[in-house]
Amino acid sequence: MNLAEAIRSAVWSLQSNKLRSFLSMLGIIIGVAAVVGIVSIGLGAQASVLDRVSALGSNLIMISPAPTLGRGASVSTDAREVFTVELAQYMEERAPSMKRVVPQVQTSGLLLYEGTNLRASMVGTTPAYKDVTNYEVRAGRFLHELDVDQSTPVMVLGSRAAERLFGEADPLGEQLTFVVGDRRYSFTVVGVMESKGQVFMGNYDSQVYVPLSFVMERILRTNTVSTLMAQAVSAAEAGAAVQQAEFLLASRLGTTDGFTITSQDEMLETMGEVAFTLQLMLGAIGGISLLVGGIGVMNIMLVSVSERTREIGTRKALGAKYRDLLLQFLVESLVLSTSGGALGLILGALIANAVSRFGDWPASIELPALAVAFGFSALVGLVAGVYPAMQAAKLDPVVALSYE
Amino acid sequence: MSLVIEARDLRKIYHMGEEEVHALRGVSFKVVKQEFISIMGPSGSGKSTLLHILGCLDRPTSGELLIEGQNIQKATGNQLAEIRNRRIGFVFQNFNLLPKATALENVELPLIYAGVRRRERRERAEVVLERVGLADRMAHRPPELSGGQRQRVAIARAMVTEPTFILADEPTGALDSKTSAQIMELFAELNAEGNTILIITHDPTVAKQTKRIIHLLDGQIIKDTAGDGVSA
Repeated sequence: MNLAEAIRSAVWSLQSNKLRSFLSMLGIIIGVAAVVGIVSIGLGAQASVLDRVSALGSNLIMISPAPTLGRGASVSTDAREVFTVELAQYMEERAPSMKRVVPQVQTSGLLLYEGTNLRASMVGTTPAYKDVTNYEVRAGRFLHELDVDQSTPVMVLGSRAAERLFGEADPLGEQLTFVVGDRRYSFTVVGVMESKGQVFMGNYDSQVYVPLSFVMERILRTNTVSTLMAQAVSAAEAGAAVQQAEFLLASRLGTTDGFTITSQDEMLETMGEVAFTLQLMLGAIGGISLLVGGIGVMNIMLVSVSERTREIGTRKALGAKYRDLLLQFLVESLVLSTSGGALGLILGALIANAVSRFGDWPASIELPALAVAFGFSALVGLVAGVYPAMQAAKLDPVVALSYE
Repeated sequence: MSLVIEARDLRKIYHMGEEEVHALRGVSFKVVKQEFISIMGPSGSGKSTLLHILGCLDRPTSGELLIEGQNIQKATGNQLAEIRNRRIGFVFQNFNLLPKATALENVELPLIYAGVRRRERRERAEVVLERVGLADRMAHRPPELSGGQRQRVAIARAMVTEPTFILADEPTGALDSKTSAQIMELFAELNAEGNTILIITHDPTVAKQTKRIIHLLDGQIIKDTAGDGVSA
């Protein structure tokens, strides 16, 4: 008996019990769909997260305060008090591996323009912000030193904020009102930025940018900033820059607690690890479904062998050898599991597509992942089929023929 | 006349727990080419055991069976499978056809195991199906055929490998008397065309239609007589 005959016979047998065949395939279908879906979504998410972190800028180090607990004689100090514009300048001057340290404060409120209003988050920063984050101006200009020095009420819009408020109209020179609580501030739009897309930690496009001093003095009435964004001189010096920042801050605060320093490399690494762990975990779930599917296939093959004992006896009487029957039932198990595998691939790809449509990243359905998942379904069929096929092949023809 | 089957003192002992059951107690006979024989006996006479041994599905406990001079006693499982495939054409009481396969595909089955190529298989299966009068039923599946037609398909399947002999086990047991007569008539015709045929039966009216009747009782041959089929 050759392979083509074995496949034909397998198809007959599976067709004669369509519902049963489908149900026993279900485990494999779910397993393969899970593996394909998860890997595709995972790869897409990973690529997209990496993109976003890279889009933050280059060689960035984020320095932010974290409240500490007082212990024993020491009183809890709020590191936030130390985070000032002066600290930024101090670090920029003292740390040789840092090119720029950009202070930034954030607040949010309601933007009003004629009849339209938009809840937006406002970033108060300095002109260097644009360079550190590789952010490009589409129209008009970004903030100037002069704006920061004089706290001029000017505003630069993220592309999405501009679109939402002004539609097709030109926002340059228009007057906007920013409402926080019961206070209202009037700004003149001086620029619109290029789209940067969804970036790790917030969306640049829906933010608006105003002079640091304006937010600190007029809106928040504070002398501290929320984050310092530092840029290392080069990628090679990023590590040194982190150490210098730690040293300078620790000597200021008298403790190594109270602040967090995250380099972009660390973020990438962490994100990569998280994505990998997630994939591993979900992949394991897929693997377990495949295992359960395999047990289902094996079970149904054993049922099939026992139901078809007379057929096996007849085939033996007609001259089927051990290997003919082994091949027949192995192929049947393989056809069953790979049909499930094929359906699982389709289902998995559909799921990945649907998820990426609702989520904000493209699923990356890659051929190697498909091949591996399909290969696993075949392997499961092979392993699950061996024992039942051997049972069939070694049946005594006399016993098999007289089986009722 | 060339010798097709030679049985020499065949014995078969089954062990049922403590007890030994002697199913065959020394059966010897010869079959030459183009014989039309029935082996007849009541249930428990050992005819099923003899069928299994003659069909190379089972080996005797002692004694020898030669098929065309080849001793099957020492043959391996795969060699027996080959002997069954090439030299024996089985016909069963309940037809034992594959219900999902067409008549043509059913008849092709032994040729698949013989390794015959697809086109030749098809041609040979068509020839024998025409011979048993089913030229217009080749694409039908067994559930769409009558009992008599199913047994004709089974006979075609038995003949398609051009075996040394056809071994039929109660071939009319599942058929009404009219259809039985037609099937027996077909066997007589096939015998007249040169086929060697052995029919295992408990039914004297079936046995009478063959040329020679071997009477089996308690595992021994008690009579070896001529049947009415001589005139056929």
